[in-house]
Amino acid sequence: MTGTFALGIALAAIAVLAITLYRQWRRGENLQRQLRAAAADLDQLQNACARLAPAGVVRRLVADGMQPDPAAERKVATAMFVDLVGFTQLSERLQPELLQRVLDGYYQRVSDAIDEHRGHVGSYVGDGIVAYFGAIQPNPWQCDDAVHAALAMRASIGAYNAELAREGLPPIAIGIGIDRGPGLAGLMGSRERREYAFIGRAVNFAARLQALTRQHGVDILVSETLRGELDPGFILTPMPAAAVKGFAEPVVTYAVEGRSASQLSSAADSA
Amino acid sequence: MASALEHVAWEACLIDPQPDRSLDAYARRKTGLPIPSLRYFAPVPWLARAIVDLHPEYGLLVHLDQDVADILTLIVSQENSCRFCYAAQRALLWSQGMSAARIERVEQELSTKLAPRTTAAIAFGRTQSRIGPAAARDAREALRRAGFSDEEMKEIAFTVAATDFFNRAYTMPAIPARPMERMPDQLLMRLMRPLIGRMIGRHRHRGEATPLERPSAYPYAALIEACAGLPIAPALARTIEAMWASSHLSRRCKLLMLAVVARGLGCEVCAIDIGKALEREGLDEATLGQVLTHLDAPELDEVERLLVRFARETIWYDPAALQRRARTLRDRLSVPELLEAIGVTSLANGLCRMGAMVMGHS
Repeated sequence: MTGTFALGIALAAIAVLAITLYRQWRRGENLQRQLRAAAADLDQLQNACARLAPAGVVRRLVADGMQPDPAAERKVATAMFVDLVGFTQLSERLQPELLQRVLDGYYQRVSDAIDEHRGHVGSYVGDGIVAYFGAIQPNPWQCDDAVHAALAMRASIGAYNAELAREGLPPIAIGIGIDRGPGLAGLMGSRERREYAFIGRAVNFAARLQALTRQHGVDILVSETLRGELDPGFILTPMPAAAVKGFAEPVVTYAVEGRSASQLSSAADSA
Repeated sequence: MASALEHVAWEACLIDPQPDRSLDAYARRKTGLPIPSLRYFAPVPWLARAIVDLHPEYGLLVHLDQDVADILTLIVSQENSCRFCYAAQRALLWSQGMSAARIERVEQELSTKLAPRTTAAIAFGRTQSRIGPAAARDAREALRRAGFSDEEMKEIAFTVAATDFFNRAYTMPAIPARPMERMPDQLLMRLMRPLIGRMIGRHRHRGEATPLERPSAYPYAALIEACAGLPIAPALARTIEAMWASSHLSRRCKLLMLAVVARGLGCEVCAIDIGKALEREGLDEATLGQVLTHLDAPELDEVERLLVRFARETIWYDPAALQRRARTLRDRLSVPELLEAIGVTSLANGLCRMGAMVMGHS
């Protein structure tokens, strides 16, 4: 009788222990599932953020967790300003939905060319795009990269215009200004909204050069400073000195025609 | 065990594996297990062997805690987005008994149980991958403040460099990562986990002080001499000598790739060292200057021109973009040439980063 009772107690204790262990195991599994779901959410968020800011910057922010923004750093970078020529006329001729589609195609092609040549899009300013080369990571070949990117944009927009023509849509044209110089690179903005940017004289000057493309009737203009750093394989044409807002003296600029034939194969290799 | 890198785009593999019994035996002798992925590197034996010989698990670390080295390898692979190495290191930790949850906590640095020294080592690994030699001085000071000795710091730098090397060597040819990622989820592997752990554990061992047999006379000699006394030094020396001895690419072509990586990382001491070696190969200063400034010069042959440009792509990279660029080379080079280029640039990236830390330059 006592033996049976003891056995019963023992069985009951084992049952209680088993149930407790099972519950603990379930709880552990649950927690792990939640952790995995949270990690997946974080990944998704990181991927979504990578569409809004350079992937390297997003990764750095995620990895640095709750630490305050890393300090902006002094760097020498190459700034590029791209703008759509005749956007106002285009917007008057096209329905908003069609205009958006044409614009998206333009943004995509320009961004792809920047990305392919190790630059990154800093921001979209209306129909304009500001891009930097060598602002996030050191890049001693930033000047060549920027001009290669500009030539790739020229080719890509040419191909896009052929597509637009097939649909009976008007062609688009772009103006590109490029300069190089020292500045400050890092996250900038208000407490609520910050973006990775490069600030310095080169950015302003690139924007001015872009505006000058219309005056000179060319599509790619580079500064004297940038010219000094460029691969001699690029074919440049000096433009007449022109007055630029903010500069006391007229400014000499150079139009980029392309690359010399002997260098074309190696340029293709790099692209 | 879901991998945090599964979303990273990974191209189809560029090369086919080649069975090689001597390589299998070599891996088994050194690690206790066959390493099937080595078969992809079989056409270039020095590269395949370097992947085994430079692994920090097997007798290369004397001073650094092995757990810190393991975590460092995991974090650097995560930072470099190498799906293969990341999955391999996770599988290694898992087979040695670390739970999936603990691995995930380590990756996310959620665990407050990580020692401050480990956290400092992790920060160093991340910095080297993101910024490279430019941040070496601050990183060295941070490690010193965390209490690491000079010898430990050399071993940390080596562990990061070796991981940088593995990451690039596996990423560029897009060695399939899926089988490695799925390994801990397979029933058979779960059942065999204790056995695998024991087999690895038997071959995993601490290093012992090892003299450097003879002074080196090639680029990176100063780095190797700075590590004299540690088993790292002869291991690196053997790998570098084997790399020079291999003839798939010319010595000048290899040096040009090393020079481009040194320039891209801003490592002046490496650049001077390599510049002198190129001078001995008959390349004049003006031509080298042009190559380093514009990645081209009329004096370069077709292979050199291709690989000089490719070398710069390996410094900072997005895996899928780098794999696409490597694919374009696949049509223009033989498999051994391509693999040797991958090996040389991978090694250069690791050694330049290590040099900045060990020799104190940037």
